[in-house]
Amino acid sequence: MENLIIASSPHIRTKDSVRGIMLDVIIALIPATVAAGIIFGGKALALCAVSIVTCVAAEYLFNLIVGKKCTIGNLSAVLTGLLLGLNLSTNVELWQCAIGAVVAIVIAKGLFGGIGKNFANPAITARVFMIIAFSTVAGGAAPAVVDVVSSATPLEMMAAGNDALPTLGQMLLGVHASGAVGETCIVALVLGYIYLCARRVIKWYVPFGFIATVFVLSLIISGDGSYALYQTLGGGVFLGAIFMATDYVSTPLTSRGKLVFAIGCGVLTVIIRHCFAYPEGVSFSILIMNILSPYIEKFTANKVLGG
Amino acid sequence: MSLFGSISALKLPHYKGTAACAGVRVAPPAEVLLPMTMHSGGAAVPVVEVGQHVYLGQLIAKEDGRNSSNIHASVSGTVKAIEDYEQEKGRKVQAIRLESDGKMEKDPSIAPPEIHDLDSFLNSLHDSGIVGLGGAAFPLWGKLDAARKSHIKTVLVNGAECEPFITSDHRTMLDNTDLIVKGVEILREYLKSEEFIIGIEENKPDAIDKLRNAFADKPYVNVKPLKSVYPQGAKQLLLYNGAGLVVKEGQRLAALGCIIINITTLTKMAEFVTTGMPLVERCLTVDGSAVKEPKNLIVPVGTPVRYLLEQCGGAKAPVGKLIFGGPMMGKTGYSLDQPIVKASNAVVLLSEKDAKALEPTDCIHCGRCDDTCPLGLNPKEYSRVLEEVDDADEQYRILEKEHILTCMECGCCSYVCPAHRPLVENNRKAKGIVKKVRAAQKEAAGK
Repeated sequence: MENLIIASSPHIRTKDSVRGIMLDVIIALIPATVAAGIIFGGKALALCAVSIVTCVAAEYLFNLIVGKKCTIGNLSAVLTGLLLGLNLSTNVELWQCAIGAVVAIVIAKGLFGGIGKNFANPAITARVFMIIAFSTVAGGAAPAVVDVVSSATPLEMMAAGNDALPTLGQMLLGVHASGAVGETCIVALVLGYIYLCARRVIKWYVPFGFIATVFVLSLIISGDGSYALYQTLGGGVFLGAIFMATDYVSTPLTSRGKLVFAIGCGVLTVIIRHCFAYPEGVSFSILIMNILSPYIEKFTANKVLGG
Repeated sequence: MSLFGSISALKLPHYKGTAACAGVRVAPPAEVLLPMTMHSGGAAVPVVEVGQHVYLGQLIAKEDGRNSSNIHASVSGTVKAIEDYEQEKGRKVQAIRLESDGKMEKDPSIAPPEIHDLDSFLNSLHDSGIVGLGGAAFPLWGKLDAARKSHIKTVLVNGAECEPFITSDHRTMLDNTDLIVKGVEILREYLKSEEFIIGIEENKPDAIDKLRNAFADKPYVNVKPLKSVYPQGAKQLLLYNGAGLVVKEGQRLAALGCIIINITTLTKMAEFVTTGMPLVERCLTVDGSAVKEPKNLIVPVGTPVRYLLEQCGGAKAPVGKLIFGGPMMGKTGYSLDQPIVKASNAVVLLSEKDAKALEPTDCIHCGRCDDTCPLGLNPKEYSRVLEEVDDADEQYRILEKEHILTCMECGCCSYVCPAHRPLVENNRKAKGIVKKVRAAQKEAAGK
């Protein structure tokens, strides 16, 4: 006698899995990670390694303590760790990085109920936490996380009216070696973008909408094409747009909502940079839009066919 | 729904390996089991007695109640038993077991029905026992009865066959083209329909060619190729992509002056009108990873699945799942001794390996369910309401507002979910909640 399984339809499923999606994003970050290692040296890789190990360990222990099923196998903690590492500058101490990783996993994710339940992107939340907690400069004009002691970021140079800006080619390759280790090499980030679009992990229009909005608004405000280019290529716009604004959990679920989210991020980034005399607006803009996500989702609901 | 609001659909693997295999008519099984609910409405009532001899095509159970359908002997032989049959786990119905004498002797009283106008045509359909053969199993007489009230201007013939594995409609189009032509002419004559749209997915170019040739001199017939995406054959999609129409929630299709009829149903109707033979046999696809030689078989209604499998060379791997219909919307069976019913267009047998359910994990809010739903529904929200909202009134309020009742359970949302969540199952539960409240409201209003 056969032992037949009784189950609800459908009886076939996609081969995609949460683990597969996380792995795809990690793969997409490999070019940026390699670039970070080349441009910033061993410290960049050490930051990523410490961040990843701490994130995975924190998730494992947190699940153990609260009695939840172990979820490190889905690789989301690895991804959060890698993203956080790439979002830090080399003058962040490794112990600070580890604390940031714990904040990302335990406070921004675990306490909200784990994967899928967090309202904000864990890596962004941790980065913002670190900007505030480990600030060495009063007033926050050049926070430790973003600032590099030896050289200011192009955006800071611009803000300070410095003429010794890197060339456009240098900007694309990211060899100016300032800022967060993963944000400078535009070429590597775009490779990741292409991979994620090809694998249909992200919607092409989310990073595009974010980046285009920053460029167009900067152009309108300044009327200066090269200024707008530096605004777009410098800072964390590409890293944020490709890897953070496309985070599933903390962004709207609907297609139109995702586009609204992306444009909103671009607008806020430019506003923060211009109106608050603050060189970096990407993290804050994504965080603010994360909070607005449920509302955007509501206003961009699909039209039901026949409804 | 995509960014630009076009209707979403899935590109599924086709698994249509049996498309080249014309239906094989095999010797009747030793026994057939005919449940009294092979249609969507009320159970039919047996009109034969145990031990009685029956001919092929003889009436053995009479329709009773709303949307019920007559049932006819699918083999000649003896009534062996009238028994309780567990159609689904936990749901027993009456069924008639016939022992075949192997002769397939036709009922001598069978003759073409006398039809001269719409009224006599519609009345005769009660004797045909025909139900929607695409899966819905709605009695044909009930569907066409709408023509008494309103003029059916457009007839959409469904030849999409969008479910993976199934090729029985495809074979019907290739092997019974003359009956399709006849069926169209019958509907044109009695319903006075002006326009016939035959929607066929592009993955069946031979069927499209054959029907185009057959209808070359009939300008009122439009053989329309449709994209090979799932669920192209679903009512709302076929209507929109085939005729550019949209039926509103709660509205009847006939209100648009339109009906949709499955292409195999149409051929069975033509056969009945010309010969008087009711629905007693059908072509169905037997396929799946557990089947040694997948085939299209023409078999009596009520044939046990085990017999079908034997005709297909047996199992090449232990059977882990029996699906009546396609893998996207089909229902599972619990035993290979269960019979096929009128609407069984396929029997898919999956190996134990392919039958294993994937462990659901936490929703990651990726939005693929929302993106994929052909109707623009929000499966994630339904599941959230079931899991997180405790208040029954609040559940009903949200679910109803979010149009849960329009969900056709096509399976797209569950299919794409990378967390392997039971979305369709939850949608079904959610529909149950809304239907229950509505029924209670109706009853209260009636008092």
